[in-house]
Amino acid sequence: MDLLDRYLQAIEFWLPKRQRQDIIAELSEDLRSQIEEKETELGRKLEDAEVEAILKRCGSPLTVASRYRPQQYLIGPTLFPLYRFVLTVLLIGCVVPRFLIWLGFLLVDPAHRGYLHMENMWVTILYFAFFTTLAFAIVERSGVKLDDLGHWSPRKLPPLRNPNRIPRCNSLFEIGAIAVFNVWFVSMFWPRPVIDLYGAQITLAPVWQIFFWSFLLLATFNLALSGTNLFRPHWTRLRASLRLVADGLGAGVFCWLLRTQVLVRITVPDLEPAKATVLTNLINTWMANAFWYAIAISVMILAFDVYRVVRLNTASRSTLSRLAHA
Amino acid sequence: MSQSNGNHDLFENLRLELRRGCLSLAVLSQLRTERYGYTLRKALAEQGIEIDEGTLYPLLRRLESQGLLTSVWREEEKRNKRFYRLSPEGKVILKQLVVEWQSINASLNGIL
Repeated sequence: MDLLDRYLQAIEFWLPKRQRQDIIAELSEDLRSQIEEKETELGRKLEDAEVEAILKRCGSPLTVASRYRPQQYLIGPTLFPLYRFVLTVLLIGCVVPRFLIWLGFLLVDPAHRGYLHMENMWVTILYFAFFTTLAFAIVERSGVKLDDLGHWSPRKLPPLRNPNRIPRCNSLFEIGAIAVFNVWFVSMFWPRPVIDLYGAQITLAPVWQIFFWSFLLLATFNLALSGTNLFRPHWTRLRASLRLVADGLGAGVFCWLLRTQVLVRITVPDLEPAKATVLTNLINTWMANAFWYAIAISVMILAFDVYRVVRLNTASRSTLSRLAHA
Repeated sequence: MSQSNGNHDLFENLRLELRRGCLSLAVLSQLRTERYGYTLRKALAEQGIEIDEGTLYPLLRRLESQGLLTSVWREEEKRNKRFYRLSPEGKVILKQLVVEWQSINASLNGIL
């Protein structure tokens, strides 16, 4: 039934959110009945090719989903889901980078508030929306048939999504990044009276020892967690909770570091001591200013971690409930 | 070639238009007794009216939203199925539609 589930999933993607569950349940029941009837007739399980034939007769996911949508005028029901998808992706692609650039300016130098005129963004959004709508309206008017554009096949549908699966490439990337970070961090910031950072002599407050060991411990713990995720690539409640705790501690320590004025002195060859003092104060000020942004980013990361734990708990409860009723 | 394709598309569009109203009538008539989607399709097919699932279910939804049908989810043979039947309003409308259909049919038979 993998092919059938993938087919239903592909249809579900294009359906109106409020009716998704209902429509899919009904369609699923019909298709399963068809398959069962055919199996009874043949006296054996259907092969993938036979299931594929049933699904192909039913129609491509986009065509099936489009029949459940109300009639549109400028852009018809077949093209409309695709239009919305493209528009959303374009608008996100337009808004997010600008917001990040704006945030970056704010973090680097709060005096540049408003340097990047955000009002320009609305004009850009309007342009994007207008030209996307225009392009789709032209396609609609020209009568291009979506089904004819590609040789659709149920076998080519994306595999079933599992939000609790951890892609191995993610774990490998994390392991690589943490390992490189650990080596660099230990070699550069090992607690000592004066740290040599690419020619600059940096003196840190004694409290740096606490930060150093905290970061090192957390990074090593995350390395072990990513290693476990590599070999057991599914989130469990335990590992999701551990990731939440580790991220929480990491965020806490990092935010505390920003408020600590940990930088005591910087000495750079060819830089006058007075200017070096100004630079030291400037960096400490930047770090202090970044505190609230760090809090905001930490909250987003932790909210995602909490969501993962809640999702796993909910899934676990519903499984137990199903078993209890079985 | 393109003229032939154009004619075929035009015929398809007209055929679909012609069928659309007939299908609503056929579906309503079969739902005097309660049925779920799959058995409704089979019942219609036995009467010579083939209707695919992609057409039937949106049609059922539309008829229900217009108040002509009522539906209920119920478990049968270990699976949840949505059962439809005519609503009181649907019964009235069906009677009117049947009269209308017979009138059109008689007229068309005279013309054709």
